[in-house]
Order: sequence, then structure tokens, then C-alpha cells
Amino acid sequence: MAAFPVDRIVFDLAAALAVLFAGVMVVHHHPVKSVLSLVVGFFALAICYVMLWAPFIAAIQVIVYGGAILVLFLFVLMLLNVGSETRSPGGRRPVQAFLSGAALLLFAGLLLGLLRHGGAAVVNGSRGPAAAEIAPLARLLYSDYLLPFEALSVLLLAALVGAFVLARREAGP
Amino acid sequence: MAARIFIPLVAILTFVPFLLWVERRGAGLIQDRPGPNRVGPFGLLQSLADVIKFFFKEDLIPASVDRGLYLLAPALAVFAALTTFAVVPYGATLPLAGRSVPLIGADVSIGLLYVFAITSLSVYGIVLAGWASNNKFSLMGGIRSSAQIISYELAMTTAGAGVILSAGSFRLTDVIASQSGTWLGFIPRWNVIPQFLGFIVFYVAAFAETNRTPFDLPEADAELVAGYHTEYSSMKFAMFFMAEYINMVVASAITVTLFFGGWTFPGFAPHGVFGALISVVIFTIKTLFFVWVFVWVRWTLPRFRYDQLMNLGWKVLLPLALVNLFWTAGLIAAQRL
Repeated sequence: MAAFPVDRIVFDLAAALAVLFAGVMVVHHHPVKSVLSLVVGFFALAICYVMLWAPFIAAIQVIVYGGAILVLFLFVLMLLNVGSETRSPGGRRPVQAFLSGAALLLFAGLLLGLLRHGGAAVVNGSRGPAAAEIAPLARLLYSDYLLPFEALSVLLLAALVGAFVLARREAGP
Repeated sequence: MAARIFIPLVAILTFVPFLLWVERRGAGLIQDRPGPNRVGPFGLLQSLADVIKFFFKEDLIPASVDRGLYLLAPALAVFAALTTFAVVPYGATLPLAGRSVPLIGADVSIGLLYVFAITSLSVYGIVLAGWASNNKFSLMGGIRSSAQIISYELAMTTAGAGVILSAGSFRLTDVIASQSGTWLGFIPRWNVIPQFLGFIVFYVAAFAETNRTPFDLPEADAELVAGYHTEYSSMKFAMFFMAEYINMVVASAITVTLFFGGWTFPGFAPHGVFGALISVVIFTIKTLFFVWVFVWVRWTLPRFRYDQLMNLGWKVLLPLALVNLFWTAGLIAAQRL
């Protein structure tokens, strides 16, 4: 490791940003700003991928999530002109409170388990620039992982057909 | 190291006022009128006068805008436009003081994917401007922009995939290397010849991605006042303006790199410092030609209607891009027989 670990600092900053903006996404009252903070979070995650010598995954992350899916989200939100979220005043919601509490506990447990088994120490430069090449990844995708890869695309096609059927139902015969 | 990144950036930025002059004089030429010709010789200093005007204009922020995002949007637009150029090779290797300097910002393994990633983010500048302005015309412009860019991105990436297939690499220096040499001794091995369809689809989609006429629906001044930048004035408006022209230059440079062999030219082999400079000149001339086509088309074609825009994107360009992809794959398979 160099005297001044720039890689490590950039990675940690990006990771912190990703977590921070994921949090902002959840708690923000305005849906448009929630989507925007998710964009920042995804971009920070892409920086993490780059620092881990996985530029291909980083580019795909930005193109697919940052550039396509979230732009569609924004498009829908702006088309419907959704305003700030209105929260029902008072009104305790015991079920929601219980579920979110359980989710929080589960997440805390997972984090604890990860930390205890040393899973957090993933940043190292040992893989080097050779890992950044795309050809080996492509070869794996089209040989060992060909079946899961194609099965995934069929799954996506099924989801697409399902969405189409749901959207058409209103028109009727 | 830093200079090879810095010099093209400065070159593009200083080029923008000149491009503006080309656009306005070109419009005059096409519409049979003089165009701006009073400030300086041939009106060359008109853009400079405009820049000074932009700087000294009052910086107005409307009361009901979302201040943070309103200020962020123009900066995002310029940022996305400028960073795309980082992976485009603009010349051959330059031998300098015993070292050889490749004339490219960063020769990364994901070259073309990086370009697509940054251009896919460029839409946020326009969408945020439209939304944060709190004006229905701006909002309409933002909505149109997001729908348009999503639709044309597919055709653009699919057309780009044909080039990746024939080069066998995402690296843009490899893409250029795969296009050097000639067929039959005089036809350059540029991708545009086997993949003419891919070139047409890519270039048309580039018009849509840069919001240039006939795809300038986000700012359609006949119906939306000025679209997404209605509420912007002074330098903030100038930044959107700059982003548009920088995008034109970058889109032309990428078209040249993918389909017209970048800085290569049949019969030209770069030697030494002089050769490297010649290669930069070749690249610049090729790029400027496509920039001129952008201007030419703007003053020749009327704007599309919204449904025509969507039909063209999904029912014409995307299938054509797929045809090009299969055709290229077939050619490669035939070569290996």
C-alpha cells in the first residue's frame, strides 16, 4: 500500500456517499428528490466498482440504472406531476411500525455478522488492471454462465409480457 | 500527462464561440441573407461580444424555483458534455522528449461504454432544469427530453454494438486500429462502408441525443416558449448553450472515431512530432465536417411532431440498428469461414 492511499480514500468516500444518499432516498418527502438521491447513490456505487477494478460493471450500472431506469422513473413522476408526500397527521400504524422495526433488526444483524467474519475488508489492489479487461468476463458469460444468462432474459421477457397484459386490461373487448 | 487531458478541453471551449459564428453565418447562407456581419471582419467578433454580454447580464433567479436543483442543472449539462471527450483518441502517438505520449485523455478498456454512460447522464441537466424551474413549459420540455433520450439511446447503442463487433474491443484506440489500411489499395477500411446503415442510425440518434433540430422538441420555441431553459438567463443560459455546442463537437468526434477511422487516413503513416500533428489536423477536419452537417440539417429540416419522433425511434431506427448488427455479425462469420 502506498504512503498516501488515495484509492482507499476515494473508495471510502464513495461508499459513504452511496449509503448516505440511499438513506436520503428513503426519508425524503418529495418523490422527485428521492429519485435524484438514488441517482447520486448509484453513481457513487459505480465509483466503488471502478475502485475495485470492475469498470465494466460500473459502466453498466450507470447506463442501465442511472441512465435508463431512473430517467423512466423521473419521466413518470413528472408526467403525473407528483407533489410532496402528504403524511396522515397523528394516526399510529402498528403494523408498519412492527414491520420496519423487524427489517431494521434484521439489517443490523446482517451487518454485525458481516463485520464479525471480516467481510468488510474487501478493498485491495491485488487484482490489478488485468481484472479490468472485458474479454474474460464475456467468455465466462457465454460459456459457463450461458444458461443462467439466457434464463434471466426469458424471465425479463415474461415480466414485460405481464406488464403489457396488465396495462391493456382496461381497454376491454 | 495532465496536458493531454487539458489541451483538448481548452480547445473545445475556445472553439464554441467560433461554432456559434459558423452556425449563424451558415444560417444566413442557407436562408439567403447576410447573418451577423458588423462586429469585426466577417462578423467574427460577434460571438465574443455575446459572451461579454452574457457575463454582464443581471443574474436573475425566479422566486418560485427549487433553488439548489435550478443552479445545479446547467452545471450538470456542461459537465456531462465535457467529460465525454476524455476517452476519444484525437491523434496518433506523439514522441516527446524520449517518451511517447498517446493523444487521448484516458485509454480505458470500457471506452465506448464510458461514452454511452456519460451521455445517458446528460439528460439529467435538461430534466432537472425543466422540473426545478416550476414552469409548465419548462416541465413539458423536461418530460419530452427524458422520453426522447430513452427512445433514441437504444438505437444508438445498438448501432455502436456493430462497431464493437467488428473491432472486437470497447477500447476506442482498438476501434481506430481496426479501421486502418485499405481495401483494393484505395478504399479506406472505415466502418462506414460495411456498416453504412449503422452509421446512419448512429448519426440520426446523435442528433436526437444532442437535442438538435429536427429533434429539438425539448425547447420547441413554437409551442413551449423556450422549453427547459425558459426561466434561465445570463451565464446560466449560456451554459446550456455551451453544452449544446460541446455536445455537437463530441458527437461528431465519436461518429468520426467509430465510422470514419478517427485520425487515420489512407496512405498516411504518422512519423515523429510532425506526423502526430498532422493526425490531429486530420481528426479535426473530419470532426468539423460533421459539425457542419449538424448546422446544415438544422436550417434545412423542420421539427418533427411528437408522434413522428416516437415512430422514427422505435419503429424505424431500432429495427434498422438490429439489421445492421446481424449484417455485421454475418460479415464477420463469413470472413472466418
